[in-house]
Amino acid sequence: MQQDTLTDASPADAPPRVSDDLDAGREPEIAEELLVEEISIDGMCGVY
Amino acid sequence: MTAPFDPGRGYGLNPAVALRPEPFGALAYHFGNRRLSFLKAPELVELVRGLASHRCVSDALAAVPEGRRDAYLRALASLAAADMIVPQQARSEVA
Repeated sequence: MQQDTLTDASPADAPPRVSDDLDAGREPEIAEELLVEEISIDGMCGVY
Repeated sequence: MTAPFDPGRGYGLNPAVALRPEPFGALAYHFGNRRLSFLKAPELVELVRGLASHRCVSDALAAVPEGRRDAYLRALASLAAADMIVPQQARSEVA
């Protein structure tokens, strides 16, 4: 019985589902943030 | 004030902006408003450089993989808001 319980209690698809959802939710946001980053250098000199 | 970004219009790099190639992509410096933008993807730099050769932004984005178009569209919108890219129509109307 214990063996059956252990086998049923550790479904291989549960953890991957969670991590897949997290990865799928995070990647696009990070990509958008990284594409363009703006700063103002007003008041600074010697940049160019 | 800059006009709202419209992907249906043609845009091009603002003549007041210099693009300097960098390993991560490019630095865009606006000599007018002194803003500095980091373009952190070489593909985005290519897109911005070639933007003026397309009728509209949506047309230019056709070359971008579908899954990344929205991110690139947002990037272009932020560049337009910073006056780094400007509508092409303004130029052709003058010329």
